[in-house]
Amino acid sequence: MLDHILSLLIFFPALAAMMGFVVHKDSAKAYGIAVSIIEFVISLYLWFAFDTNVSGMQFMESISIVPTFGINYLVGIDGISLFIIIMASFFTMIGIASLGDVKKMKNLVITLLFLQMTMVGVFAALDAIVFYTFWELSLVPMLYIIGAWGGPLRIYASVKFFLYTFTGSLVMLVGMLFMAFLYNQATGVWSFSILEWYRLILPENYQLWLFAAFFIGFAIKVPMFPFHTWLPYAHGQAPTIGSVILAAVLLKMGTYAFIRFSLPMFPDAAVFFMFPIAIIAIIMIIYTAMVAYAQEDIKQVVAYSSISHMGVIILGTFALNVEGITGSVFLMIGHGIVSGALFFLVGVIYDRRHTKMMSEFGGLASVMPRYATIFGIMMMASVGLPLLINFVGEFLSLLGFYNQSHIVTLLAGTAIIVGAIYMLSSFKKAFFGEVTNEKNRNLPDLNSKEIIALVPLTIIAVWLGVYPKPILDPINNSVKSVVMLMHEKSITEEAKTRIPLLEDKTLMQKPQAEVK
Amino acid sequence: MELYLYIALFSPLVGALFAGVFGASPKTLLTGVVNSSLLFASFVSSAVLLGYVLDGHTVHVEMMEWMATGNLYIPFGFVVDQVSVTMMMVVTTVSTIVHIYSIGYMDHDKGFNRFFSYLSAFVFSMMVLVMSDNFAGLFIGWEGVGLCSWLLIGFWYHKEIATWAANEAFIMNRIADLGMLIGIFLVYWNTGTLQYDEAFKVMPTLDTNTLIYIGIFLFVGAMGKSAQFPLHTWLADAMEGPTPVSALIHAATMVTAGVYLVVRANPLYDTIPEMGLFIASLGAFVAMFAASMALVNRDMKRIIAYSTLSQLGYMFVAAGLGAYWVALFHLMAHAFFKALLFLGAGNVMHAMSDELDPFKMGGLRKQMKGTFILMTLASVALAGIFPLAGFFSKDAILEVGFVTNHYVIYSVLLITAGLTAFYSFRLIALIFHGEERYKLFGFHPHEAYKFMLIAMSPLAVLAVIAGSFKTTYFDMVTQILPKTEYHIHSEIVEWVMILGTQIFVMLAIFYAYKKYVNFKGEDKEFEKRLCYKILINQYYIPYMYEEFISKPYRELSTIFWKKVDLKVVDATVDCIANGIYKAGENTREMQDGNLSSMLRWMVVGTVLLLSLAVAFGMAVRYADEISAVLSGLGA
Repeated sequence: MLDHILSLLIFFPALAAMMGFVVHKDSAKAYGIAVSIIEFVISLYLWFAFDTNVSGMQFMESISIVPTFGINYLVGIDGISLFIIIMASFFTMIGIASLGDVKKMKNLVITLLFLQMTMVGVFAALDAIVFYTFWELSLVPMLYIIGAWGGPLRIYASVKFFLYTFTGSLVMLVGMLFMAFLYNQATGVWSFSILEWYRLILPENYQLWLFAAFFIGFAIKVPMFPFHTWLPYAHGQAPTIGSVILAAVLLKMGTYAFIRFSLPMFPDAAVFFMFPIAIIAIIMIIYTAMVAYAQEDIKQVVAYSSISHMGVIILGTFALNVEGITGSVFLMIGHGIVSGALFFLVGVIYDRRHTKMMSEFGGLASVMPRYATIFGIMMMASVGLPLLINFVGEFLSLLGFYNQSHIVTLLAGTAIIVGAIYMLSSFKKAFFGEVTNEKNRNLPDLNSKEIIALVPLTIIAVWLGVYPKPILDPINNSVKSVVMLMHEKSITEEAKTRIPLLEDKTLMQKPQAEVK
Repeated sequence: MELYLYIALFSPLVGALFAGVFGASPKTLLTGVVNSSLLFASFVSSAVLLGYVLDGHTVHVEMMEWMATGNLYIPFGFVVDQVSVTMMMVVTTVSTIVHIYSIGYMDHDKGFNRFFSYLSAFVFSMMVLVMSDNFAGLFIGWEGVGLCSWLLIGFWYHKEIATWAANEAFIMNRIADLGMLIGIFLVYWNTGTLQYDEAFKVMPTLDTNTLIYIGIFLFVGAMGKSAQFPLHTWLADAMEGPTPVSALIHAATMVTAGVYLVVRANPLYDTIPEMGLFIASLGAFVAMFAASMALVNRDMKRIIAYSTLSQLGYMFVAAGLGAYWVALFHLMAHAFFKALLFLGAGNVMHAMSDELDPFKMGGLRKQMKGTFILMTLASVALAGIFPLAGFFSKDAILEVGFVTNHYVIYSVLLITAGLTAFYSFRLIALIFHGEERYKLFGFHPHEAYKFMLIAMSPLAVLAVIAGSFKTTYFDMVTQILPKTEYHIHSEIVEWVMILGTQIFVMLAIFYAYKKYVNFKGEDKEFEKRLCYKILINQYYIPYMYEEFISKPYRELSTIFWKKVDLKVVDATVDCIANGIYKAGENTREMQDGNLSSMLRWMVVGTVLLLSLAVAFGMAVRYADEISAVLSGLGA
């Protein structure tokens, strides 16, 4: 089973989704829950079988698809992708389990299972074409979720989401083709394997162009300023389940791809663009936090807060040292858990009142104490309180970048201030004060379905905040090998000094070919 | 001994979780009793550890790993040494008393269980703060007390002003925490570790500039928690929380965390005396600045809060001038009498149905004999009258200023001592003496529960006798703190100074008493004066913060959203998309399927292609000439 566990993880949900068409519509939800639980258990088994001492790829599978062009179905995972995959299957599971009364439940379940295939596929793919395929396929279910179950502006929002990210991906595809061409030039054979590409040393000007091409694809997905405007619409119109998965998993594709592609393939370009990107990250952190503060709709606050946090992740990634990159990968998990939970929480109140305007609420703490407690914990996690999950990632990301620049980190560090401002003021508006609106007086507290979704998230947020070691160690190992490769491959003096040389020689991968 | 360490540290956490389980349910006396006993257990363990430390041992444990990546290694490590055990004793003593007191104080509150949960969680965070053996652990506690402070200031969350004050406190502390975080980063990248002992060992080898930066950034963190200027406004507003909270958090423990940090980092601050002088000057400034605001204020709790601020200034003077043990000693003595003062104020508030204006009280000593005695005692100690605790600790700070030749700082502190005595006894006179003005407002004061007074009495005892610990304490802490003693060489000067200070303070007390004991009503003339207006408006600082920081931030946020994000960034995206769409829309008539128009377009296309071919051909043929012309243009 272990030999094909990744294929099982990727295609089991897709197969199950197809079988789902014949399931009776009343039992669709139960069916979805069963499938997603099995998937989650397999992903946990993956973690169990994962050897944390190995820094490279594990569970690799390879099937040739187009031998002439070296396109293979090549999958494998390391410490960086492992936990994002587990998170994806976890969120699909609790997402389906917590679904309330939705119209066309069967279609929604099937869509979610398809989405799960694409998510796992993206994070497991090691061949650029396979990666690209899953990357683009993931747009379709999300388009459908927003377009079919969304709010009043759903068509506009879903089309915007699709076209915007699709345009970016096309530029990325061109970059991939060019990269393969360069590989062919250097070695005489075609290959789309990312691992083979890692071994290629490129001249700096090629690196810069390729970096830019990939950057556009990734930046729109993250989304980075100024490519972020699709996100508020998508979140604003998406149903709760769509927002949860979008924020928790889909956004991570962009930041993950930076670590999988941009850093190890173009280390010199990464150093070259480090400061411009750091400035974009600062804008993301401060500007979107201020925009979040101005919002009247609580879901938009969470949506903009996502962008702000993604800024910290980007900054950690471009710290280009082990501390920073490990922190940013950890923060991907942390942000996934916390923003996913926050979108669930916003969904809870939307289900009851059918509005997300903060001015409609006030005093909810006394009406719904359990809801307020969990919201409070998640808010504090989002603000980056130590011993909750986000702090670990934020601390390490900022710590890492501090070695590159003091001023940039000082500016980016304002994340902990501006984050507190918008979160606390929104919390105050919605939960504190007297109950002024009669409609809020008798709102029921969390029901069992909501508790199923929220309590595990709360437990994870605390557990990984207090004891991050189980996932920090594997991430750390894999990141070490990435940093080592980058240092080894880099050609400019500046890159050699900016990317630290690690002592651990056992992880060394030698670059093979060089484009002249 | 490790067992005692864990009991001291974790029993408050157990209490917090226990009470948290009953958080939303109606009041159960059980939570109050259980939490108080757990706190008492923590106190006893701390006392055992104190005994152990007095014998010359220290305890250092590493519980488990927290974060490790790259070269970074951060454990949950705890140390009980001479400094942390002092802090532990202060924290557990005051918090046990406040817990017991709160059983009475929060008696009729709906959030009784929730209150105890938060209060115990605070104690846990504070213990983490003082017991951690590394900067990251310190930061955990640092943020933890911030969170609990937020929860407790905004405890009565239905009150708009309370939640506002809670947010203000949290955000202002966050500003300072950024400084702290940067300080921690600097420590890590320069020393390679965050453990106190290892980092401080490396520090002397670093260059002075780096050390100064580390010193500055860590001190910015301290300024936030200890509410030093200009981050001081939150402390007075924090008085919206329940009074036991003010006693525990905003007087005795959390606000002293900044002082603790400077004391803990003494090997660092010892190497950068310039920074130390800055800390001392700021401390002296804050001491006087805060005391001046207390002079005219009409809110009992705010007066005590300003007094706390002022006393924190004293502590920073001592710490800044290198007299770490003196700072820590004043911290301890202050914790006792200030907590006592606050709890007394809590009794008065209960008696007066939450009225805070001392102008509406008067003559309460008949109804509230116990509270009267306790508060008077605390005020005498605060004023620094021999032989109470304040005399020993405060006089030591004055001596430090004098001996180290910082006469400006010395005189500022001396004047402040007079101001302190004045506002303290203004308060006592207004509340307990003179006419019974409260009758006009229809209050029916009553004394607090007896057990609350009994709970307060240990603090009173400590406020009286804490001075006698001085020698033992000095011998203990100077094992790890610089062992500098401050003696004035000439005995005559010393006596003159001590007596002079005492007489000066007595006069201030006498003056305050005289002025306010027969207080009839507000002095309208005085209130029209500029200096009164400045002081009652806190030097207009909160107003300026609102006008020049909060408001612009709010407005800029709205502009960013409505104007920049929607009208510029998003509009550009839509504009590009619309452009493409319009281009398609406009050219669609080309494909209308009409034969004659298709032919027309075909002709246009052919002509276009042909002319392009001609142009290209010409360009190739005359390539040399063209480049010659172009290079001519360039030259």
